[in-house]
Amino acid sequence: MGFGQKEPHLVEAGDELTEKQRLRRESLDKIRFFRLKSVRGAWSVSAFLLVSIGALIDFRFLPSLPEKMKAMLGTPPSALMISGLLVLYTFSAIILVLSKMMRGAEPSGGIVHVIYLAAFYGFYHLDGALDDNFWAVFAAGLTVLGLLCYHNRIRFNALVREEQEILRIMDDDGKGPGGRRAPFGKRHE
Amino acid sequence: MKTLAGKAIIPVTLAVTGFVIVCCLLLYSIIKSDMTGMATLHATSLANVVVKATRYSMLTTDRETLRNIIKDIGEQQDVEHVRIFNKQGVIEFSSDAGEVNRLVDKKTAGCIGCHAGPVPVAKLGAMRQARQFVNGKGREVLAITAPIYNEPECFGASCHFHAPGNKVLGTLDIGLSRKPLRDALATMRGRMVVFTFLILVLTVGGTAALLRRSILTPVRIMTDYCKEMAGGAPDRELPGFEGELEELALSLKTIAGVMKKERKSAPGCADKNGR
Repeated sequence: MGFGQKEPHLVEAGDELTEKQRLRRESLDKIRFFRLKSVRGAWSVSAFLLVSIGALIDFRFLPSLPEKMKAMLGTPPSALMISGLLVLYTFSAIILVLSKMMRGAEPSGGIVHVIYLAAFYGFYHLDGALDDNFWAVFAAGLTVLGLLCYHNRIRFNALVREEQEILRIMDDDGKGPGGRRAPFGKRHE
Repeated sequence: MKTLAGKAIIPVTLAVTGFVIVCCLLLYSIIKSDMTGMATLHATSLANVVVKATRYSMLTTDRETLRNIIKDIGEQQDVEHVRIFNKQGVIEFSSDAGEVNRLVDKKTAGCIGCHAGPVPVAKLGAMRQARQFVNGKGREVLAITAPIYNEPECFGASCHFHAPGNKVLGTLDIGLSRKPLRDALATMRGRMVVFTFLILVLTVGGTAALLRRSILTPVRIMTDYCKEMAGGAPDRELPGFEGELEELALSLKTIAGVMKKERKSAPGCADKNGR
């Protein structure tokens, strides 16, 4: 061994420490990211509640459509047709969320559903039937977004638990209870 | 909820409850709209009956009989008001004597439907003839305005002065209480709430009971068995299960058997129970 060269065992130990620190930081970043994602359903619910408050006061704060525009848009669909579509939408959305839950797929944030529900409020408003159908759209929104919130929560909390387990194994000097190495290769992106 | 029961039951409960509530609210809204439409048609038909019943008195200018007919109809239960006003909007006959000779504002609901433009509309559909409001006594009213048309007998009679060009001679306005309709809707709403509640209890309760019977209880039994295995060889047999759970139970029994054999073959080795 020549002068000025590091001893091999010291180099390896230093590298391992750096690698460990990097993985640890990565895990902590992921935990923070998953925690943020687990509450994103609440943002959709808040947005939906805001739209619902607007609908409850019959969108009084919005300027009414000019007569020309109304004539161009034509006759709005009947309340019966909108109600039929609302049932179809609610059914499909529930099935979609439940099937994603069953497959363990990544849940969506729910903003698309807020847009759909706002469109239902809008159509009922244009048809003059919002008073009678407000609570139906509200219940549909709470059901679909509630399920999405629940899905987001259980899915990302499970990922957080997984990362915490990896951290725990790393803290136990890279060895699991059975003496095996932590499953670093099986990490969620 | 982190338990298996919570994970299985919460989404099902939320989905079923939400969907049933949405369907019930929409169904109630549709039934309410249908019943209001039927009540309007009924009120329109009643208004036309009153116009026909008073026709002869109008032809013969028998104002006393006409006044009595209007007064008697106005005294009927659930009839809030009956009035006939002329083309100028002056009330000629009314169930409320205080209203006679007063002028009706053509811009109010019920009048504006025909008098919105410079030339009044002569014919309206049944739904457009109707208006709903709360009267001075605080009662909800469904009112119908039925035009009294000029007929050959009117302008052809020697005693009358109506010109043949006048399409409408006056208007009958009859207001019916919405209380019977509101009561019927309230009864239906109550029944729907009970019905929805029963459906929810049956669906959610049934799902929970089946899950408990088929999955949760066997899983708990096998979990206890595994715990006993971890503490030493379990000295009891697993009960029989069905389907996939039977395979799992068989595998556990095999593992328990192997562990028992290994413990017996290892000299001086005893489990925590001393076996």
